[in-house]
Amino acid sequence: MKVGKVGIGLDLGSTAIKMVITDGEKILCGLSTATAPGQEEIGRQLIARGLESLDLKPEQVGSITTTGYGKKLYSAADLNMDEISANAAGIFRLSRGQARTIINIGGQDLKVITLDNDGKVLDFRMNDKCAAGTGRFFELVSRLLDTPLSEFGDLAGNSGHEVQLSSTCVVFAESEIISLLARGVAREDIIHALHASVARKVAAMMGRTPHDDAIYLDGGPARNRGLVEAIEDELLCDIMVLDDPQFTVAFGAAIARQLSAPTDKP
Amino acid sequence: MSDQKQMSRQIRLVEKTAGKMAQESAETLAWLRARDDYLQGFDYFLDLAEKGFDPQSSDSVREKAGRPLIYLLCIQAPLELIHAAGFHPFKIFSGSFAAGNLSAHGLPTLICPLMRSILGAMQMTGNKEEQPWILPTTCDWVVKFPEMMKLFGAAEQRLHWLELPHIKEARESQGLWLDEMVKLKGFLEQLSGRKISRNALLDSIAVYHRAWQALSRLVSLRRQGLLSSAWFLLITNTFFLGKAENWTAALEKLLPTLPCSVNSAKRRIFLAGSPIFFPNFKLPRLLEEAGLCVTGDDICSGERLFPGGVSFKDSSVFGLIEALAQRYHQGCLCPTFADNQRRIRNIEAQAEHFDGVVFHVLKGCHPYDLESYTIESGLKKQGIKFIRLETDHASEDSQNLLTRLEAYSHTLPSSGLRPPSPRERGEGNNSPHPLAEEGRGEGIRCT
Repeated sequence: MKVGKVGIGLDLGSTAIKMVITDGEKILCGLSTATAPGQEEIGRQLIARGLESLDLKPEQVGSITTTGYGKKLYSAADLNMDEISANAAGIFRLSRGQARTIINIGGQDLKVITLDNDGKVLDFRMNDKCAAGTGRFFELVSRLLDTPLSEFGDLAGNSGHEVQLSSTCVVFAESEIISLLARGVAREDIIHALHASVARKVAAMMGRTPHDDAIYLDGGPARNRGLVEAIEDELLCDIMVLDDPQFTVAFGAAIARQLSAPTDKP
Repeated sequence: MSDQKQMSRQIRLVEKTAGKMAQESAETLAWLRARDDYLQGFDYFLDLAEKGFDPQSSDSVREKAGRPLIYLLCIQAPLELIHAAGFHPFKIFSGSFAAGNLSAHGLPTLICPLMRSILGAMQMTGNKEEQPWILPTTCDWVVKFPEMMKLFGAAEQRLHWLELPHIKEARESQGLWLDEMVKLKGFLEQLSGRKISRNALLDSIAVYHRAWQALSRLVSLRRQGLLSSAWFLLITNTFFLGKAENWTAALEKLLPTLPCSVNSAKRRIFLAGSPIFFPNFKLPRLLEEAGLCVTGDDICSGERLFPGGVSFKDSSVFGLIEALAQRYHQGCLCPTFADNQRRIRNIEAQAEHFDGVVFHVLKGCHPYDLESYTIESGLKKQGIKFIRLETDHASEDSQNLLTRLEAYSHTLPSSGLRPPSPRERGEGNNSPHPLAEEGRGEGIRCT
């Protein structure tokens, strides 16, 4: 492939490791795999696979920037970057400067980030010690319902009855879902209720944050159309989702050097 | 379970907790001693911390202070009055997670971690002796503290309540508080069996004034970013663990050797909110890791250790008590007061010394939690960057906190993304962004 130097972003998250190769304009390659011990080796393998798929040589790599909880676990990184700044940089660039609010649903985080007109982080909110509304929540429900996450969006669309999932605690939600199943409630209705519950959590976190401007949802769960609709319904506004929302943070890291985005040398 | 079995279980639990507490303390002390900015002058304070936080801390403090102890919670009881009566004011505190776990079983889930930790640490001593306590009626946790202590098997304590008027600007409140001070004097005199003399009170005022002056010099250095918050908090935390005069002398000896480090690259922040107590220095550690330098605080275990210098015109005993009453009531910025606008003004007034505010909320510490919203709103109107962090004494949320602090650090002035070009903003460029246009066409995605 004929490209000059490429930037690589490695997002070492709590549930998945995402790698993006970019020419600074677009995602040339995005790969991800589940987080497991030996994150340095996993990151190395993802990068090698990505470069190979694009027929690129290691010498063509301009810089590697890591982000996410494991950002300091990859010793070959040129730069480290916090995932909130990476998220802001990635979405702002990919939305062509349109994004002003980002809702990010990660493996164990839920974040709301507001940007100024220059794409700089104005403010943000993030959940603390609670997995409600995060990717873990979805994984748990997926296991309980024995249903792949990829089917959640379509199934929620088939929901015929309103069910309340009142709990905002993952642990209690588990027992609540088991009791709903025992009562014969359809899994479509439970999934719909789950989406509504997460949407309420998002709305609570948005709080008094002004959100008249373009809102972008990213992170793995953003691929779930049912969840997007539930959040739109709760916030009473449109929600934008870019292609490959799970790679936006890694993309933001990958363009870090180009943007002079806030980074630290490891 | 038989009484004997229960007793044996309790002994094992206490031993186990003692080991964990010692480990927490040792880890924080080791971290402090291994720092690049360590100076020999910090040893006095490190030593106080090391000795003052084992289960027998009260014996150690009594020995170091050379006076009988009066136990305190909060910062509204005038230290000078207690000292003038011949006692050492021993403000009880603990940031130990292990100690908190010891008492957690008998307490509400959402309780102030500081109270949980203190109640746990108090159990370590057995609590079988009657101790004199002075408790101001500040927050609900403090008001219920004696009740909770009793539930954990403490002996009947000799309590003296200070009924704290919560509207400090009201004249009636100020009168009531003065009455409380007079009653406190009576309590102390009854306890000691002697009158508090004018000279003793003047001497005690001088002792604490000198301590305050030394602390003020330390605060000035900190304003310039010349002292890390870890050392600052160690020094303020250890004030009650020994003789006030010795603490002041050690600080006066240390001051000329400072600064110990200068890092102008760090962004400066003002630390507000719930107190931070040894050995839980999680937040100071994370702040440093995120490249943030604390140049000021308004926490009651930090700069608000003293309410300020006491000034008086009337040097009679009553005149001095009146001056103390005014200083400890009007000068206090505790969030349990209903009229606390001075706290926001205090932060705003120091804005030139920092780039943003980090507000620390101990989960369950309701007054600070509630006040954080008012302060956030007030400061944001002034264009001051603000972040609120809710946490407790556990370490499991460190990574989450660090992520937030790092991102917050980058939102502060002199940092941030390069302004995008007109093309990046979508101005003067008719072609849409390549990714939006081309989608995933030429890339591969293996998820």
